[in-house]
Amino acid sequence: MAMKSGDTAHLYDGKTVRSSAPSRKKLAGNASATGEIPKDAIPTVEIPSFIESLLGGPLVPKMKFLPPDKMVQNLQFAVYGVLVALALLTFMISPPEGTIWYIMTGSLGVANLFQLSIIVGATVTGFMGTYKRDARFSLASNILFILAILRFASSKTSLSNDLFGFQDNPGALAILVVVYSVLLIMYFELSNGVIRYSMLDTSIRTNEVYVMNPKKIVSKYHRSLVMNPIVATLLAWFVLSANMILPAIVRIFSSDTATRMEESVELTSVYGVALGTLFVFIVVGGLFGLNLPTHLQRYRESKAE
Amino acid sequence: MWSRKSAMLGSLAVAMYLLGLTLRNSQLVTVAVVIFVFLTWAALVGNHADVASSGRRAEEWSGEEGVALGSVVAMRKLSSARMFEDGELSVTLRMQNTSSLPKILEVRDRVPEVMRIKEGANYILMELGPRRETYIEYTVECPLRGFYSLGPVTVRIQDAFGLFHKEKELHVYNDFLVFPKMEDLKETFVKSRVPKIFTGAVNIRQPGPGSEFYSLREYFEGDSFRAINWSAYARSGKLMVNERERDAVSDIVIIVDSRAVSETGPVSRNALVYSTRAAASLAKYFLGRRDSVGVIVYGDEVVSVDRDTGKKQLYVILTKLSGAVARGNIPLQVVVNRILPHINKGSPIIFLSNLEDDPTIVNALRDFRARDFDVTVLSPSSLEFEFDARRIDRTGYEVMKTERDVLIGELRGLGVNIMDWEPDMLLSTALAGARGF
Repeated sequence: MAMKSGDTAHLYDGKTVRSSAPSRKKLAGNASATGEIPKDAIPTVEIPSFIESLLGGPLVPKMKFLPPDKMVQNLQFAVYGVLVALALLTFMISPPEGTIWYIMTGSLGVANLFQLSIIVGATVTGFMGTYKRDARFSLASNILFILAILRFASSKTSLSNDLFGFQDNPGALAILVVVYSVLLIMYFELSNGVIRYSMLDTSIRTNEVYVMNPKKIVSKYHRSLVMNPIVATLLAWFVLSANMILPAIVRIFSSDTATRMEESVELTSVYGVALGTLFVFIVVGGLFGLNLPTHLQRYRESKAE
Repeated sequence: MWSRKSAMLGSLAVAMYLLGLTLRNSQLVTVAVVIFVFLTWAALVGNHADVASSGRRAEEWSGEEGVALGSVVAMRKLSSARMFEDGELSVTLRMQNTSSLPKILEVRDRVPEVMRIKEGANYILMELGPRRETYIEYTVECPLRGFYSLGPVTVRIQDAFGLFHKEKELHVYNDFLVFPKMEDLKETFVKSRVPKIFTGAVNIRQPGPGSEFYSLREYFEGDSFRAINWSAYARSGKLMVNERERDAVSDIVIIVDSRAVSETGPVSRNALVYSTRAAASLAKYFLGRRDSVGVIVYGDEVVSVDRDTGKKQLYVILTKLSGAVARGNIPLQVVVNRILPHINKGSPIIFLSNLEDDPTIVNALRDFRARDFDVTVLSPSSLEFEFDARRIDRTGYEVMKTERDVLIGELRGLGVNIMDWEPDMLLSTALAGARGF
């Protein structure tokens, strides 16, 4: 039996149906009985600038955040912790030798001062950005951290301050660099998370967005904050261990060649890392090419049934 | 799909990787590799987002689970398909997850820009459990007349860090109609001069069977004794009878100017908004007293609603007025030439226009008057709207106001009942003013 339709489609059979007159598009808000134009009647059309589009949103937030809730406060504390650790590690793994400042001035002392200033600047702006929840400071901090590790140095990692005696242990050095990298990206993410969740929290409290089961959504984010760095560390370690993994594979066929590979300068250098990256990402690319995520999803769905 | 954030991180990683290789700096390469890995893992995890979905109207939905072509299904129901301006519309959006896995969804139900969310939210972030459904309810205010559509529903699934997302538009649309709001009128002072075959509730200024007093005359044989005015007889000593004004059904023709120029002024206060509201109010009033009402809306084309009576006619007129869009620039003369042969002689004509940008107005209205039509012009002043909105300065306003007054004076000289309708004036007051009361 055909159900009775409550829509008005039959009214405009053969007519052009439009949502509204073009000029009316600008009007939002309620026209009161007096006909006065409400203050919020004409919405502003925000077209992000090129920089803003790169950063994924307005650099200067238009939204005035409400005081942070517990979730945002926890994220802020996490950022402070990561920031301190990152600052220390940056200081450790980026000695002034090979920096732009050293090349420009030729003085180790001046370069050291510059390098230290950049790291301190990155840390302070990072703190300010997180505390004030201002994306401009966070962005400045990110740029300064990247600037701090830009070194025209040799392949080998060197430490400016070898407190724990890692300099003579290549494995420990590699781990240190990986941990540094993971901390850097976690800092990027967490400082961004402070802004994102502040926006979300403000939107929720001003009734712009309604969130159902917020605990589950937040717990997923928390889970990802733990899982992703672990996975990133393991996979990165795998990529960076090309000089160990490749000889191990080759050893199956020829132990002499494997030994030569282990002692190869190229394989232990940055090109070895590049080779490892190439292999791993060929595999990853292949998996994506085979549409593994979709198959994985289907498998999960069928398993759940 | 890559977000801008992931694109920026990816670009940074590529730059660092290439720079690291160039500078032979393993730290840079390591950082780049970690960023690559981070992105790859997020893409892998985020890519489980299966938003292959289908949207269906709630009315079409039958059965317990509906016809789900994907794992996320949206249906929508409106509290009403028709309402008046300033009315509220309750929307119920039903979201279903037919998958066996829970999903975190961002749902945004697209609402026409002119509307404002009054209660609830059309943007929801939700965790929808396996084989679960949820209802999202919100209320929108509809401040302006028109045909509107709600939809589509945009569903987005993204990874926890907002690096990658999948987005899908569920093409669920619900149309609804917002009628112009109406003012209750007690009296319009508009009456026909020509009787129609069937008597009705409207006086037509001719003696005949009716209820309203028209004049006194001497008694003639055959007159009803009940019509004798005994007071007049006592005064004059002659038998006098009351003549009554003949009641008849009138043909009322309402012409609405919806040319592009009629929308001059702010969006909520312009001649077209006022004209449509006035036309709706007048149509309701005249139809309420059993008149026959026809409406002509002209802009880029001449759209007419043939004269008819009854509630159905009101609905048809309101629908037509709701769809009136300001565009085109057809001169009034063209409209008059087209409709003149079809209007009964002496029918009252109500013309709603800001009288701007049309040199044929005087001639067109002269044609009506030459054929003895009773013409009433209500002219919402675009100048006032513009001046109130501070879009024109005082000097410009004064000059244009003078030109307008000259035109109104000229039309008044033709015998047109005309009123310069100022923004804060009630329709009934404007009508009374036009008719000289």
